[in-house]
Amino acid sequence: MKNIIETKKLCKTFSNGGVQQHVLRNIDLEIYEGDFTIIMGASGAGKSTLLYSLSGMDKPTLGSVSFCGTEITKMNTDELAIFRRGNCGFVFQQVYLVESMSVLDNIMAAGLLVYKDKKVLSKKAGELLKAVNIDETLWNKFPTQISGGEAQRVGIARALINDPALVFADEPTGALNSHTGKAVLDTLTKFNEKGQSIIMVTHDITSARRGNRILHVKDGEIAGECNLGKYVTGDKDRHQKLSDFLATMGW
Amino acid sequence: MNKTLLLTRSNLRKNRGTSIGLFLLMVIATCLIGISLLIFMDCYPSVNREAVRLNGGDGYISITGDLDGFTDEKITELIKDDTDKHYTYHDLKLSNQPVKFGNGEVVISIDISDDAAFKRPMNRFEVITEDTSISENYVYLPYQFNTSGGFKTGDTFELTNSGRTYSYKVRGFLNVVYGGCNNTALFALVVDNDSYKKLWDDTHDEYENINIIYDLKDGVKNGKFRINAFNDMLKVNPGAVIEGYDIDGVISNRTFIGLIIAVSFLVATSLIIAAVAMMLANSISNYIKENMKTLGALKAIGYTGKDIKSSLVVWFFFIAVLASIIGIATAYLVMPVFASIIIGQMGVPYSVTFNLPATIIPVAFVVLFTLTVTVICANKVSKIQPIVALREGVESHNFRKNHVALDKTSLSLNMSLAMKTFFGNMKQNVITFIVLGFMIFCCVISLLLYENFSRKPKLDILATEICAGVVASDHESRDEVLDYLEKRSDVTNIREIINMNVYYNDEESLFCYIVKDLSKFKNTNLCYKGRLPSYDNEIAVSGSFAKAYGLNIGDEVKIDYGDNSFKYLITGFIQTTNNGGREAIFSYKAADHIMDIDSIPGWYWFDLTNVSDDVEKNIEEVNRIIEECEDKYDNHIISTMNFYKMIGGAMTTFQGISVMMLIVMCSISVVVIALILYLLIKSLVYHKRRDYGIYKALGYTSGSLMLQTAMSFMPSVIASAIVFSIVSYNVANPYISLFMRSFGLMKCDFAIPVPGVIAIGAGLTVVSFFLALMQTRRIRKIEAYNMLVAE
Repeated sequence: MKNIIETKKLCKTFSNGGVQQHVLRNIDLEIYEGDFTIIMGASGAGKSTLLYSLSGMDKPTLGSVSFCGTEITKMNTDELAIFRRGNCGFVFQQVYLVESMSVLDNIMAAGLLVYKDKKVLSKKAGELLKAVNIDETLWNKFPTQISGGEAQRVGIARALINDPALVFADEPTGALNSHTGKAVLDTLTKFNEKGQSIIMVTHDITSARRGNRILHVKDGEIAGECNLGKYVTGDKDRHQKLSDFLATMGW
Repeated sequence: MNKTLLLTRSNLRKNRGTSIGLFLLMVIATCLIGISLLIFMDCYPSVNREAVRLNGGDGYISITGDLDGFTDEKITELIKDDTDKHYTYHDLKLSNQPVKFGNGEVVISIDISDDAAFKRPMNRFEVITEDTSISENYVYLPYQFNTSGGFKTGDTFELTNSGRTYSYKVRGFLNVVYGGCNNTALFALVVDNDSYKKLWDDTHDEYENINIIYDLKDGVKNGKFRINAFNDMLKVNPGAVIEGYDIDGVISNRTFIGLIIAVSFLVATSLIIAAVAMMLANSISNYIKENMKTLGALKAIGYTGKDIKSSLVVWFFFIAVLASIIGIATAYLVMPVFASIIIGQMGVPYSVTFNLPATIIPVAFVVLFTLTVTVICANKVSKIQPIVALREGVESHNFRKNHVALDKTSLSLNMSLAMKTFFGNMKQNVITFIVLGFMIFCCVISLLLYENFSRKPKLDILATEICAGVVASDHESRDEVLDYLEKRSDVTNIREIINMNVYYNDEESLFCYIVKDLSKFKNTNLCYKGRLPSYDNEIAVSGSFAKAYGLNIGDEVKIDYGDNSFKYLITGFIQTTNNGGREAIFSYKAADHIMDIDSIPGWYWFDLTNVSDDVEKNIEEVNRIIEECEDKYDNHIISTMNFYKMIGGAMTTFQGISVMMLIVMCSISVVVIALILYLLIKSLVYHKRRDYGIYKALGYTSGSLMLQTAMSFMPSVIASAIVFSIVSYNVANPYISLFMRSFGLMKCDFAIPVPGVIAIGAGLTVVSFFLALMQTRRIRKIEAYNMLVAE
């Protein structure tokens, strides 16, 4: 299986008032194409730090991250920004849509970094919005005028607009109720089924069931890994298998 | 430390950038108000202070010509009823004497005394600087020769009379009340006693002069006194030439051009202060909004609204007091630079002294203004609930319209996002528009001063009529000289104009232009209301004179000359800054009612047929014409003037001020724009930091975000540049006129070079863009990851 990301001895250390905190410790990891990878772990385990270090949003203290064969740890901030445009899509817990822009403009603002043809992009943005079940009547609304679930699905559409090699999702359902959270997970699952690689941080077992590969982070290290296979609706064994794995991890 | 001070200290630490920005704006505001007030309350009054200190009295009368009959007793008898005291002394007075001054020469009356001038009980002369190593054949010149005239001790000063040249070494410079400034038509100087004796022996038959310095009794009007005294003196000896000035007129003449420039400075400064005040209010309001969360947290832990309000008031009070003290100290520090240029025009020694009102007013203004704005803005904090404050206030998102829809616009991505920022920040745009506009207006006023006082001096401010040269012949040869000039191919547009002092209603002296053919008069801007006189019963008078006596066009005025009177109809108002704004103009035919016009000398004002762009060539050409006239008519030529040569001398004193004004105003404008953009952009970046984090996460580079932000200011900058360039071009003259009326300039028509205005508008636009780009560097510091995890 082709890997998208490969890390070698990835370390991240925060220094606070002279006290050093090792958040990531010598992580060697590969993320594969087409996978729905889940990073789980307790609060403060370093899962979000790992996610952002893999995406080039945060710089590791030591080690390397190779993204589609390109070493990104040596890039400067602007080079990383340009790199992210076509390679990474982000879905955040707090959504982070630009509030002064309409729903459609939020997607266009990301897409125009890669696409030059506005007509083509506009059409694609429309298709994506339809694909994430955002009614056309909402496209010209502002983020504060739509619900949290709708906003998160817009966030997913924005993350996908540039056909990224990998979508990074940081607890995308964390701020949503179970109903809207399910809709968001369904959307992500749907795109993964179409071949979109996704890596998602969560501490929710229900959300984690959607992934085919579960990584458990503990004290800055990958403490364990579990392969669940592709998600199938109503697969009760899947839930048990995940629970057993997490139990072995001391969850 | 009590809790208010604790909060204040915390505010200061946390908001260093804003504090420094506001501090600098307050320093600039206090400094500019301070300088303006010091100029008006300390610098200009020094002319009056020196006049009192040197006991210049209320005025002086000078008697030359035939002095028979003017004994001290007779003079006392003539003026004793109207004066408390007077002092009479004799010296020499050379009229229409050309002397080197600055870049040219001035033709002026020269009053020469010996060292008795230093000991007089009235109108005492005082040495300001001297080189005592020069012990013979020396001269003390008025201080203006040093400050503007380009002379220093040890230089040679020459006087020419009847073909003889008197050469002196400059020993020092004088502080004199009358005759200290080229605008007063008289220079007073002192030569050593031996030189004076020689000069006296050579010239006193022709140039002996009796000076009478007087103090009037209470209630006696200066104008009326002089008219009566002149008439009485002419009765003693009709061959005498009587002249005189009152002290107010002399002070006015010494200060008026400098005041015009100082007023323009104040006008420009007031706009800068308005811009600074607006920015202060905006910054304080922004600060409170930006810190709403912290203020909410403080409320949540038990601080009352009053505690927080007090801390804000103490914080801004502290900044305002510190800034205003430093601002006023800076004003005192830079004042000598302004003063050195202003005193060049006044010719009076001046050193900056502590002036209480000029110190207190700027400090009080800045402190009180800041406190008022703070209290008004802080009231919002007192009323807001802690939980609302913790949510950073009631954020009411009211996006009514999606400006520049990205799927429809044809603009580039950076431009589209810049336009979105532009439409989302109308308050910032309005402030930018107004502030930049005010700065453009200031610069255009400075440009106007530079253009009209330095680059292409507007001479009709200094002289009612401008020509290339003047040749005056005695009555005997006037027709011959005119005929000679008219036949010359190098001379054109010969006007017969003679100046006389006439009197209005036995009250006021009017300096009168008597013109043979008014259609040849070149200064078309002279008459700003009504028309110039056409018939022999018509007169045009200066606007300030008409205003002083409540006269209107169509009114009749009784004009006296000697024993003759005639009532003239006022046809128009003329504007003049000369002779205290007391001037009139009428025709030879009109003048014939009160004087024998056929017996007067012929004064011929002429232009050159071929005017060169090279002023030196024009000077040579006029000199050649004058010399040829003098060669041909010898002693019949009683006076000559080369205007091209005089321009340099007359304008020397103003060039420094206007150049300095342009530099100072442009520099201040750039600094104010930089500070205001700093505060606006700091606030904008703070408010949009979340958006910038999102953009960076999506893949926008810092460079593109900086460019977008800087570009978002450009529509208001460009609109302001266009609107205010046009407005300034059209409004600058009427605006200055409002302030100039008291100086006699009723309707200003200063030239404003269009390329200069365009350069200012375009220059400030470009400067604003680069300043904005520099200020947006703080966007580089925003990291997507830090912003996202911090939320």
